[in-house]
Amino acid sequence: MGKSKTIKVDYLARVEGEGALYIRYDDSGVHDVKLKIFEPPRFFEGFMRGRDYREAPDITARICGICPVAYQMSALHAMEDALGLAPTPELRALRRLIYCGEWIESHVLHIYMLHAPDFLGYDSAVAMARDHPNIVQDGLEIKKAGNSIVRLLGGREIHPINVRVGGFYRVPDPGELGKLRETLERAQEMAADMVRWAASLSFPRFERAGEETYEFVALSHPDEYPMNEGRVVSNKGLDIAVHEYEQHFQEEHVPYSNALQCVLKERGAYFVGPMARYNLNFDRLSPRVKQLAGEIGFPRFCGNPFQSIVVRSLEVLYAFDEALRLIDSYQQPSEAYLEAEPYASRGCAATEAPRGLLYHRYGIDEAGKITDARIVPPTSQNQKTIEEDLRLLLPQYLRLPEAQLQGLCEQAIRNYDPCISCSTHFLQLHLEQGRGALQ
Amino acid sequence: MSGWTIISLGSRFRGDDGVGPYVLDRLRGRFAGRVPLVENGGDMPRLLQDWSGRWVCLVDAVIAEGHAVGDIIRLDGLVEAVAPSPCTTSSHGLNLAEALEMGKVVGALPARLEIFAVCGADFTTGTALSRAVKSAAASVEMEILELLATPHGGPECTNTP
Repeated sequence: MGKSKTIKVDYLARVEGEGALYIRYDDSGVHDVKLKIFEPPRFFEGFMRGRDYREAPDITARICGICPVAYQMSALHAMEDALGLAPTPELRALRRLIYCGEWIESHVLHIYMLHAPDFLGYDSAVAMARDHPNIVQDGLEIKKAGNSIVRLLGGREIHPINVRVGGFYRVPDPGELGKLRETLERAQEMAADMVRWAASLSFPRFERAGEETYEFVALSHPDEYPMNEGRVVSNKGLDIAVHEYEQHFQEEHVPYSNALQCVLKERGAYFVGPMARYNLNFDRLSPRVKQLAGEIGFPRFCGNPFQSIVVRSLEVLYAFDEALRLIDSYQQPSEAYLEAEPYASRGCAATEAPRGLLYHRYGIDEAGKITDARIVPPTSQNQKTIEEDLRLLLPQYLRLPEAQLQGLCEQAIRNYDPCISCSTHFLQLHLEQGRGALQ
Repeated sequence: MSGWTIISLGSRFRGDDGVGPYVLDRLRGRFAGRVPLVENGGDMPRLLQDWSGRWVCLVDAVIAEGHAVGDIIRLDGLVEAVAPSPCTTSSHGLNLAEALEMGKVVGALPARLEIFAVCGADFTTGTALSRAVKSAAASVEMEILELLATPHGGPECTNTP
């Protein structure tokens, strides 16, 4: 047996939040992989208790500055599930539109600023920009179009404040959407070029086989590419209603991480995010996206996570196509929101955050105060899969110099666009009657 | 005042890191929507969009050797070197120094950049601003008001020929 070696990355760069990586390996294989998330726990589930149910969307939006809309959407759908509220088709369309904006913002940021330097051989986006300023300029321009959607519908670009349980505080008039249309049309063409550019990159070879193949998990809706609704399905036979989520999935604590790891009960790790959505819902993409996927020779089912950059770019184009479709068919809602009277109840929902399935469950009392909350973000769900990827990837690339090997491992983590701030929101709370103890 | 934008960096949930948002809150009532106030929690790509071509006051918290908590370091961000952030990671993998460098490369720099860096000590999640930093925030607020109150940003020249 060869000498044992370690790869240690004390601070992972170009990921959202604070994490580290530890791998111990030798010539015979990989013996230990730990994706260490040391960002402090943030206790959102705990401090929502006792707050009004209408506050949940705006409080949970603060979990993440990159995907606040996802938190708002999952929270308000869960509250509406608890209260038996069904948004009108017009309100539903506006929610889908703001989600398109967030997908564009988040995906483009990751593609150009975080992931592209890996493929072009740079340490940072700044270094890449010195040689390829046009790449960064394109990214900023496309992202700006996503910002404009979120700003119009959400009231502001970051931590939007205009969505609420039952609908929106204010809905746009058709004229406002008309102006937005012009902005989106310009950026849509740039997004198509982005797909072609992403497809032209060189990808490390990595495919799982046999029992190691991924279980992709995403929402699936019969009529549309999933965002706000659908059943939870997988490529290995899972097909459940969102209400059954906790019967099939469980979160586990690992000693080296402040984030819980979520697994499929009795099956283990699974994979959420753009690749899961794409692989499970290819038929519901827009005709233009399907046509472009064919033009660049990209398969309907992608098993190489290093190609997730292409899938993200296809989803960006889809978000533009969908946003323009929604604008063209827009009917201004007669009421901006539906009213509800609270009663003691429970509700849950899952929506598709840019990084994947985002599950929320709440209990509320007769006064509408939150009694308990549970949030399972995408990064918690992907953590175990990321560790497994590293365990399987390394033996194929042991011939590489150590620095290059470390770079490849970091790139493999960035394939998932992990959001560590999202994953450390959790709280384990044990209360004993008469003498409260927070552990 | 119309050409100015005030931008805060930092998180209002992390002790002294919240000094930028705190100054913004104090200025909000003073400007009543006449000056854009942008709270940026670390989204540097967005920073490029928000400051490009504008006159900008930027308020951030720093840890600086040789400075006491509550000291205010004033920098012309387009002329003087900005040290890399003490934080080894940021939300999007760029710190302020890198954002400036990126702005240079892609042509997205502000026309003017006045940086008010307030020295902090405690950046623990869930803690409040320290007394010294809070006091410094009041000074920064007054300095920004003075800067914006004059047509070209700065005290009126009283030197008559």
